[in-house]
Amino acid sequence: MGSAERELLRTGIRYSLGVRMVVVLVSTLAPLILESAPVPAAMVVAAAGVNAWSAWYAYRFARRGRWLVPADVAVLGAVCLSQVWTVPAREPPAGVTWIIGVAGITVIAYAWQLSLAGHAAATVIVMAAYLTGAAIADPHGWLEVAPVQLWLVIEAALSRALYLLVRHGARSADAAVARGERARRDAAVAEARRDDEREYLAALHDTASATLLMVASGVPCGHWLAEQAARDLEVVNGRYRTASGDVDLVAHLREVARSIPLTVRWDAPDPVIVPAVEAATLAHGVREALTNVVRHAGVGEAVISLCRNEDTVTVEVADQGAGFDPLHVKGHRYGVTRSIVERMARAGGRAEVISRPGHGTRVRLVRTLIAPDAGGADVETISTNVFQALRWSVLAMNLIILYGLDLPRLLSSKENYRPLWAQLVTLGTLTGVSLVVAGYLWRRRPLGVVRWPLVAAVFAASILGTVSVPGGLRLGFAHWSEGDAAWTIVLVLLDSRFAVLVGLLAAQYLMIFALSGAAAIALADVVNATVIVLGYQVSVGIVAAALRPVAVTAAASAHQQEMLRTARAVADLVHRDRAARCAELAGTTAPLLAGLAGGTADPGEPAVRRACAVEAARLRRLFATDPDDPLSHELRACVELAERNGIAVQFAERGVKPDVPDAVRRALTGPALAALATAASTARLTVIGSPEAVTVSVVADAPVEFVAPFSSPEVDMSTRVDGDRVWIKATWRPA
Amino acid sequence: MITAVVVDDHPVVVAGVRAWCALADPPITVLDSGPTVATAWVGPGAGADVVVLDLQLDLSGPAYGDLKRLVDAGRRVVVSTMRDDQETALTCLDIGAFSYLTKAESESHLVAAIHAAAANRPYTPPALAGALGADTNPHRPRLSEQEINVLREWFHCESKKGVADALNIKVSTVNTYLTRVRAKYAGVGRDAPTKAALVARALQDGLVRIDEL
Repeated sequence: MGSAERELLRTGIRYSLGVRMVVVLVSTLAPLILESAPVPAAMVVAAAGVNAWSAWYAYRFARRGRWLVPADVAVLGAVCLSQVWTVPAREPPAGVTWIIGVAGITVIAYAWQLSLAGHAAATVIVMAAYLTGAAIADPHGWLEVAPVQLWLVIEAALSRALYLLVRHGARSADAAVARGERARRDAAVAEARRDDEREYLAALHDTASATLLMVASGVPCGHWLAEQAARDLEVVNGRYRTASGDVDLVAHLREVARSIPLTVRWDAPDPVIVPAVEAATLAHGVREALTNVVRHAGVGEAVISLCRNEDTVTVEVADQGAGFDPLHVKGHRYGVTRSIVERMARAGGRAEVISRPGHGTRVRLVRTLIAPDAGGADVETISTNVFQALRWSVLAMNLIILYGLDLPRLLSSKENYRPLWAQLVTLGTLTGVSLVVAGYLWRRRPLGVVRWPLVAAVFAASILGTVSVPGGLRLGFAHWSEGDAAWTIVLVLLDSRFAVLVGLLAAQYLMIFALSGAAAIALADVVNATVIVLGYQVSVGIVAAALRPVAVTAAASAHQQEMLRTARAVADLVHRDRAARCAELAGTTAPLLAGLAGGTADPGEPAVRRACAVEAARLRRLFATDPDDPLSHELRACVELAERNGIAVQFAERGVKPDVPDAVRRALTGPALAALATAASTARLTVIGSPEAVTVSVVADAPVEFVAPFSSPEVDMSTRVDGDRVWIKATWRPA
Repeated sequence: MITAVVVDDHPVVVAGVRAWCALADPPITVLDSGPTVATAWVGPGAGADVVVLDLQLDLSGPAYGDLKRLVDAGRRVVVSTMRDDQETALTCLDIGAFSYLTKAESESHLVAAIHAAAANRPYTPPALAGALGADTNPHRPRLSEQEINVLREWFHCESKKGVADALNIKVSTVNTYLTRVRAKYAGVGRDAPTKAALVARALQDGLVRIDEL
């Protein structure tokens, strides 16, 4: 069950219990005050009992649930059977009693509390008990008014229909929200995977790639190499970011600063607790900033200040060194800009580098720690869907009441009206207004200001429907439009504010009462009849008013679940990605780093240095990502690296390449990568593509033992050595 | 004596070409050089045997029009360009250039290309061979599998000996295949006097039979 549906049902139960409690109270107060029952004591006991019970029922229902329902039906049945003592006799029989008000609101409210079968059974039992009670109280007259009382069953059915339609609306809102969520989740997961990949590549670039290039270029390596290689190995193995939990940021940063040859002064409160993910991000930025101080600032001291607000944490690294002009830093390279600013932005934070030549440098890292709000779009989706359903069901209900209840009343009294056509005009106007609303609903457009002429039309129809009923019959059976015209008002004003709806409903009723003057029935009966109909109408208004909070709660809960699901999906897929990436480097890069870390590979040996060059090139190839032509892009990355090392490279491509799978691409570029990394002076790199085959060929003055040992089941390799030149062709033929 | 005119707007390139030509055997006399194609039409350059033409003289794109006018006037043109791509190579060939080479291969192949052009013989440097070997145009001449292999291997390794070793043939056979391919290409597409001369020469040399074209 989706969150909108769940929230709707929860709220529905609460409101149905509350509305019933209030309507029962009003229904019982009127007869207590306005008239005396055959046995006043029984009336008092019944009224007090039914009120106490409905309060208790409302209080316990949500907690103890449905076992109360049989008891509820039994209590109500008993009250219905007590009519002989609790309902004043009328001549002719009035049909509307306080008990039918109580019974009516109960079966209407049941729609939200019981299953369909339970609702039907309860309605039949209550109806039977009511008719039995009526028959006992008035053995002669009860049959006369029974048909009107049977309307109670129709009301229960209408309430059920409204419940089902609104629930359907909530369900389709849930489906729409879920569709939106899927799209958002897919996007978020894709983004997270890209992020993680970039993070991984950036980490590799700063660690393993730098170390390998340094060894390859023959930089004299001290004792630090083994430690660095061990750390690099961690990164290669995918452990480059802490997972979860909270940590003390200050301690974390002190740890970072210890490994940098700088005197660091601190301006920080004790302790600053942040999630580990944030700490890792900030620590990375700080390490980068401090490294830059060492490299470029020309001073031996830096100041780190920390500041934690309610929802942000700010870390600043400042030095009094050389400074630089941030606008004239070469882009394109990993450095201050890319490493700090971009990585912070990716992690949802912000980094600023403030510097001026000669005036030191300040790097400020800001991280926001609270999650953004739930999507407002979901609130709209949910409330629009459910509201639409509610309006359709009120429309249907209005037409059913007009033609199922009111038209028969009109026809059976047709000789009484003065004139009859006025009644027909009233019915026609109410129908017309309903159809106009239907038109707007159909086009899913709001009524807007059109509602006011429509309300005026309903008022006019209502006046016409009242004055054309002869004085003595007003508010009686023949005066069908008295309460039911208000249903059209409910329909038109459903999306207005609740106060407006209730105010205009009250105005409509008061106007009719004022116009009617001498009523056909006793005042108590008028109150009873009004409570029955108005209670139902107001409940519908309450449902409409409650929809927005329901939507807000539902959207918030949907958002929370979405976050959870997204987090889980991200964790799963990122883990899988990391495993795949580790596997890619596990065969060659990892053992070499392990050798450097363990001291078994001597960085002074030419073979080790060449191996480092090849592995550095392999990492460089990873950094080359171009969705359009990854093969060419990877080769160009290798060419660039070789040219930087002073190798003259000729690179040419011919033909059109088909899409090459990732694994095949790595196999095709493998020999080229190794040849370019180990060439002494020149290399010729060529590619010919056709739908039948892709060939990558490299000719270089490189040692064959580094270039040759590439093999792959899908790729044919051919190696030729001519003097100091080795020529390797890798050819892939798509199946 | 073989004479040439160099149309190139880059003084370093011109200096390089002059140096290679002076060292060539037999020597090539560069009659004139200049940044516009006018150099090849008027002055001493108008009578040169071979025109070395830079395809990219300004920002208006490849100078196919200039190439066409030179070819139609019966001039033997060797295109030398920074544009290392298949389409440019095939287009120059179709217009009737005697040879097409990239600036990167000028040092190794330009002199040979000028010598060949002066003798109405084609010269196919690796960049052009790659373009021919990967040509999928439906109107391309029909090449044998071995001809395509020679083109591709020549493109890949830039060493005739390497090609010969790889395909188990003699170096002279490699040259024959390359010339035959060019003769076949000269027989298709746009008509040009240079192409006719090239075909005539190939027939005369016995490298290709008339029924093969």
